[in-house]
Amino acid sequence: MDLKRVLVGIFALTLHSTKKLLFGKKVFITVLVALFVAAVMGYAGSQSNDPLDDGTNLMDTLILFFFMPVMAMIFGSSLIRDEIDDKSITHVATAPLDRAFSYLGYYLPLAIVVSVSMVAISSVGMLAFFGQHGFGSESLEIYLAFIALVVIGSFVYSSLFLAISTMFTKPVLVGLFYAFIWEGYVGSLPGAIQKASVKHYLRSLGSGWVDFGDISKWDQASSVWGSAALLLGLTVFLLVLGAYLFREKELA
Amino acid sequence: MTAPEDVPSPIIQAQSLSKWYGQVIGLNTFQLRIMPGITGIVGPNGSGKSTFFKLVLGLIKPNAGSITVLGRSPWKNPDLHSSIGFCPDYESLPGDSTGREFLTLVGRLHMMHGTALSKRIKEVVRLVEMEKALDRKTGVYSKGMRQRMKIAGAMLHDPKLLILDEPLSGTDPLVRKDIIDLIKRLHKDIGHDVIVSSHVLYEIERMTRNVALVYKGRAVASGDISEIRNLMDSHPHNIIIEGGRITALAKTLLDQAYVVSVSFNDSKESVTVQVSKPEEFFNDLPALIDKSKCTVNKMYSLDDNLEAVFKYLVGR
Repeated sequence: MDLKRVLVGIFALTLHSTKKLLFGKKVFITVLVALFVAAVMGYAGSQSNDPLDDGTNLMDTLILFFFMPVMAMIFGSSLIRDEIDDKSITHVATAPLDRAFSYLGYYLPLAIVVSVSMVAISSVGMLAFFGQHGFGSESLEIYLAFIALVVIGSFVYSSLFLAISTMFTKPVLVGLFYAFIWEGYVGSLPGAIQKASVKHYLRSLGSGWVDFGDISKWDQASSVWGSAALLLGLTVFLLVLGAYLFREKELA
Repeated sequence: MTAPEDVPSPIIQAQSLSKWYGQVIGLNTFQLRIMPGITGIVGPNGSGKSTFFKLVLGLIKPNAGSITVLGRSPWKNPDLHSSIGFCPDYESLPGDSTGREFLTLVGRLHMMHGTALSKRIKEVVRLVEMEKALDRKTGVYSKGMRQRMKIAGAMLHDPKLLILDEPLSGTDPLVRKDIIDLIKRLHKDIGHDVIVSSHVLYEIERMTRNVALVYKGRAVASGDISEIRNLMDSHPHNIIIEGGRITALAKTLLDQAYVVSVSFNDSKESVTVQVSKPEEFFNDLPALIDKSKCTVNKMYSLDDNLEAVFKYLVGR
């Protein structure tokens, strides 16, 4: 294996896809979501008497719980499928780069762009809410903790939706099901079933980092390190699975 | 024992190659050896040309048989792509990228970068005459421009073997001439081996004498184009003649040795003539029309496309 060729190939694809995702039509969705979050959190901020708890709860439910998987789904679930459908993937598939590595060249820009979008949305929300109450060290801690959580979430969810993009011919439908039904509904059910969602482990991580709101009292069935290890393991597993499927895929 | 040095090895060798998609057969025990140079793959739409190319590129894997390209198996062999440039018959340019961005991506994926890549992009776009459109989005390109840009992408990394799938389809006559000239130059001046497909024999004839005929998933004939032409000439041609007093012409035609059969179509003003020697028929026709005192309004050959020859070659 020519390591230099692999790295150059991954870098080329990362650069190309990052640009495509960042300056594509989907970025308008990020802007719309940011405006929505700003409106909701701005109004909530104006009505709040307990800004640290209320602000944390809003960041948790609105951003980490809802928009995190939705944004990853929007950017990721059709990334590879779109290129298969419009056949522009031909130029990647006929390049001297093992498809398993090409897969990484799709994953990295996806995770980067989802992270950038989520950091932007989170920042807008935080500003809209805490801007009305003044930024102290505690609100800064909350902000940094959620930035870390959305970045971690971006990498995990990106691996999940990219794998879905490789596995299914209608990945958007599967992505919608996963984001709304599985993460949104099943992940909220009481009992052990909620542990079958990524969100559960992101909140477990958050409970160790944030001292305010409901997330700080999140049921610690899994330790912070255990959750981190599980999310890392899941990401690696999904990447290996997706890369394997992409390598074996016939591009007819 | 080694082969003598002056005998070139085949660049592609397919043996009993089969590929099917569910119930549909793409290629059926396909046998073909392609030697260096320009080779034309001719076959009607849906004959298996594109399936063959996808197997050559390792985009799909064979269900049975084997294929080697430049001596190597293409499936899961990305290293081979360093030596192959591919221009697909379908639209594959990312519409939201400019020509330069597309070529830059292709170049970088082939380990080219910096000034060397910029220089090479300049060279290939000059070759395909796309300098002025290089910084325009490919989504606004005309069909001919897209074909040229795909060809530029295929030859950017200076591959040994160029595979051009229907590069002339949908282009106007001027663009066709340019692309044909370009393909000939790519072999003559730069030394690329080129495999080019088309469903029109005369287009291929303008590029090369080496052809392989593909029909219903099989390579039904291959070799020098004159052999294919001989096959076509020995195969009865169907010609439709329409006009006035055609019955008289039909009687006259039946006396000619090269006329196999004459049959009337829907009206007595239209007749189908099957001839074994089309050249003699066309030479004699003006005299025969005079003799029978008929008028001919329209005449066309049903065998202008290769379909009848293909059927003949597969014994149908």
